[in-house]
Amino acid sequence: MSHPDGASTPGANPDAGATALGYDAVRIIAGGNHCVRLALQAKERLLAATLQLEPEAGASLVVLGADVGSLDPAARSALRARIGYVPAGGGLLSHLNAWENIILPLSFHHPARLAGAAAQVHAWLRELTAEPRAWLARLPEEMGLFEKKLAGCVRICLEGPELLLVDDLFGGLSGAERERAAGFAAAYHAICPQGTFVQLDDLPEA
Amino acid sequence: MISAFRELEGCVRVFGQVLRRLQVLSLPPVAEQLTRQIYFTGASATAGIVLRGAFIGTLIIAYVIDVLDADTALAVKILLWVVLREIGPLLAAFLVLQRSGTAVATELALMKITGEIGSLRQMRVDPFDYLVVPRVVGIALSTAVLTFYVQVIAVGGGMLLSALVIDATFDELAGSFFLLASPVDLVYSVIKSLLFGVTIAVVSCYYGLHPPGNSINAVPKAAISAVTQSTLWVLLINVVFAYLVFGQLFFGLVTAER
Repeated sequence: MSHPDGASTPGANPDAGATALGYDAVRIIAGGNHCVRLALQAKERLLAATLQLEPEAGASLVVLGADVGSLDPAARSALRARIGYVPAGGGLLSHLNAWENIILPLSFHHPARLAGAAAQVHAWLRELTAEPRAWLARLPEEMGLFEKKLAGCVRICLEGPELLLVDDLFGGLSGAERERAAGFAAAYHAICPQGTFVQLDDLPEA
Repeated sequence: MISAFRELEGCVRVFGQVLRRLQVLSLPPVAEQLTRQIYFTGASATAGIVLRGAFIGTLIIAYVIDVLDADTALAVKILLWVVLREIGPLLAAFLVLQRSGTAVATELALMKITGEIGSLRQMRVDPFDYLVVPRVVGIALSTAVLTFYVQVIAVGGGMLLSALVIDATFDELAGSFFLLASPVDLVYSVIKSLLFGVTIAVVSCYYGLHPPGNSINAVPKAAISAVTQSTLWVLLINVVFAYLVFGQLFFGLVTAER
């Protein structure tokens, strides 16, 4: 993913690195785990460009090796299907319970894969130390922030995106919850060993 | 004036897009939304709507018999022309608007303001397919069914009351009613109630998806716009439809030359 509108940095260190950026150029090496820190506005611009696959005027946007500017709408749509995004609050719909939220995108895009989804979700939730039966029937208003993030992550992981962007993964979580949230990346790589897990954090205000 | 045209164009666009995207109803989550909408608008509202229909049907026939000193023929004509053709579909439409139109506009406006519609887009789920199509289809079908219930109850209640007040038995009234009624009345009611349901749903969805601002105040404003505009359009469609089919407006006060 690159956005060479200003200075460009080398990729964040896979599996460990945290790169502090306050400007427009982001390049992430494919595979592994990355943490990218951006000023709020820069993060919003980067997310808008990446999720809508619309490079800003005068900038180029390369996602998963494809120069977005040269793609036709069908190819952009296919490329977008390879990108997953988890918002800071999980992005759940308030009128659906956790389970309905989790299977919503899968039932839209891959209804044939719904049959095996329940077992897969239960396995992940057990790994991430959540008690599946306890909260799959809960509405988002009955869930804590960690549970919302967890449901958001599981929902996107079910589709197996090659690039997963997670916004503010640890924000608002307690110490114990942070430890559990650190397992999200491992759960993602269990499904997509070659996938790229990118944690987007806010650069602290000066 | 320009904004009124823009809103009308927006509603027409929503309707056109619903027609083009009907095939998404086969997707499991959309089918589930359709079922929920039919349950909310149709099944769970039936008792209240039917009760109101019975009250109003009986009230109309009681007033008319009293004021016009009606006989069997006039009572049956009033039941058919006023209660069955006009009051039944209108009453069902206004009760659906009061209950489901406001709910849809409020729900969609809240989803827009709280970012849930944005979340759907981020999941590559088209909010139109997931939220609008099942609501429009569900409300249209439910309105048609509720209209039928209201007509049956209102006409039945009117006949029962008429049998008590005027010198005619229930069987005579029912016999005269079915002699006067024609299949056109049934088709007319079904088409009109479907149109009413589609109008209420499309207008409510449009204003719900386009709240006037991002603050919580925009939610009641969206609901108010949905109700006022839906009412206007339902009344307008009723007048035009009555004129096109029976050549009469305002319960026969204006009739076409034939």
